[in-house]
Amino acid sequence: MKISWPHMGSLEVILSGVFEELGVDYILAPPNTERTLELGARFGPEFACFPLKTTLGNFIEAIEAGADTLIMVAGRGPCRFGYYAETQRRILADAGYEFEMIPLTFHLGKLPLLIKQLQRLKQGASWTSLARAVKFALAKAYLIDRLEQEALHQRYLDRDKGATTAAMKGCYKKVLEAGGYDRLRLVEQEGFELLRSVPKTERQPIKIGVIGEFYLVLEPFFNLQVEEQLGYLGAYVERNIYLTDWIRPSGNNPVAGHHDSESEEAARPYLTHAVGGEGLHSVGNTVLFHRHGFDGVVHLMPFTCMPETIAKSILPLVSQDLGIPVLSLVIDEMTGKAGVATRLEAFADLAHFRRRARGEDIPLSLQPAF
Amino acid sequence: MLYFRYGRLWNSFLNALGAEVVESGETTRSILTSGVSKAENESCLPVKVFYGHVLALQDKVDALFVPRLVSVKKNTHTCPKMLGLPDMAKSAVGNKVGIIAPTIDFHFGLWTNYRAVYSTGRRFTHNPMKIISAGIEAWKEHKSYLEKLTMGMDRKRALEGESDQRLCEGRELRVGVIGHHYNVYDTFTTMSLLERLGSMGVDVMTADMVPETLRELELAKLPQEIYWSYEQEIAGAILACARYKLVDGIIFMISFPCGPDSIIRVLCEQEIRFMDTVPMMTLVMDEHTGEGGFLTRIEAFIDMLRRKKDRAEEARRAVMAI
Repeated sequence: MKISWPHMGSLEVILSGVFEELGVDYILAPPNTERTLELGARFGPEFACFPLKTTLGNFIEAIEAGADTLIMVAGRGPCRFGYYAETQRRILADAGYEFEMIPLTFHLGKLPLLIKQLQRLKQGASWTSLARAVKFALAKAYLIDRLEQEALHQRYLDRDKGATTAAMKGCYKKVLEAGGYDRLRLVEQEGFELLRSVPKTERQPIKIGVIGEFYLVLEPFFNLQVEEQLGYLGAYVERNIYLTDWIRPSGNNPVAGHHDSESEEAARPYLTHAVGGEGLHSVGNTVLFHRHGFDGVVHLMPFTCMPETIAKSILPLVSQDLGIPVLSLVIDEMTGKAGVATRLEAFADLAHFRRRARGEDIPLSLQPAF
Repeated sequence: MLYFRYGRLWNSFLNALGAEVVESGETTRSILTSGVSKAENESCLPVKVFYGHVLALQDKVDALFVPRLVSVKKNTHTCPKMLGLPDMAKSAVGNKVGIIAPTIDFHFGLWTNYRAVYSTGRRFTHNPMKIISAGIEAWKEHKSYLEKLTMGMDRKRALEGESDQRLCEGRELRVGVIGHHYNVYDTFTTMSLLERLGSMGVDVMTADMVPETLRELELAKLPQEIYWSYEQEIAGAILACARYKLVDGIIFMISFPCGPDSIIRVLCEQEIRFMDTVPMMTLVMDEHTGEGGFLTRIEAFIDMLRRKKDRAEEARRAVMAI
């Protein structure tokens, strides 16, 4: 049994860590490329949302690489995400691939099913070792999230373009290889040291928040490296969501530094009810970003995403009320890189002008976003 | 968006409370155009139509009644667009017009909504008995309206009252037109599909007319349950129609880009292929759909069904002759 799963940001750190610890055979889906997208768009339903197509592409490439067991999360909620596993299973079976899909069902009423599915996945390893492996893998992912946040905050200070990204890659590798909590603590120090040691220049930053649908925000290949591009345009970037924050069931977001209820509260004047996915938080976080003195918000949404469409139709009102510019980028398989880059440039320029017009200086010292 | 299902309920409730109800009426070209220009590009067609209706009403009324339906059945949700409907209406009209948006959630049963109903009624009257009786009366009306739809009465006639005319009259060909209520009953966006089919001499079967027990039976067979209330109805109806050959062909009406339907479509098309009983055609509508292309496809589909049926008839006769 060779297990595989679709890419989503640093998800591979968690899952590969867990399976390695348990001694279960796994195979990483080939990295996201144009081909992934092409495959996904060819087999996927015409106006299904973008992540469904990309993860479908991941699955196909993984099966081609030799995987025979696919993991996907299933659930229940107004968003389509809960039904991905079933739909993709049908599409792949139709296309003639041989595999087994294990939809991990995280739903209180379906706990017995989840236990059964995990039993299959862990292949004889004990429950305690599974719990230990998951805990350690989450610690790793948490570290990566914090390092990534640091990189987002300091990228605009790069003297040599791309230095932070390169340093981040080094950190990533180190964390991936770390075994044991002692080693992880060491890597933590080294990682932050490495990021700090990147040569810097003096530069007036603008503060830009990135919000939107979590898959698109977390997966740099498909959001066309929006965060990196913003960094090069001189922006101190903060995201509304990190992987470990998203996984955390309590609604507490230690990396982003606020609780879900805060953003729900902030969204209340505009959107009063959860609409599934990140819709409510997209609106709420825009308000929060405004409160923390951000110059603009970039809203990422996959084409036809239902919750984000609602957020998008409400964001202009928020933007008008609070005077914070919002750039909505709708991304699908047709989106061109140059078009997005141009829009981001124009947006960053506007934010620079606005900041200069207001005549405020932010102290150059790095400060937490929230 | 949900008027075709709950219009009777709302009207009766609000009228009983002494409110003056102004309806935006049927969708027209100008309503659609204004909705399209106001709504997000990515919204689905019914949401755009909804925006149009909101804009058409905003100068005529003091408050808009846009309920928020969270769930209409246990363990299900409605689509996110319906959850955000009142807020979208608010962003469309601003603060000019008030919005009455009771949150209806049937997740824990009928009576948990008492509060939402009561708070809505409270705006019009202070007499709690009046609110309760209006609510019960409206619910009864709603039930009878749904029953009429189940009996196969056309929506407009069901709204008006009794009528003998049915969509299904036992003509030679019967086609299932299945989809969301707003995709099937809205005469403008569907280009009066139901009437046209009627004038072609074809019986129409809507999702309402498929017996609920059959729908539930089909849904129970699925490996993963569908968690959207209305999609359950649609998928159940399509699968039941195909399995028990209730119809000769199915037309699945989808509006572009409906989220849940795109998922259900994959499921239904595959299941129908496995069953191999009746053909299904999927029609995707949006605001650019041309009448000509739409009609041609329907006519071709009907012709194909006719020919198929004739051929089957001939084959049967041949067998009997032998």
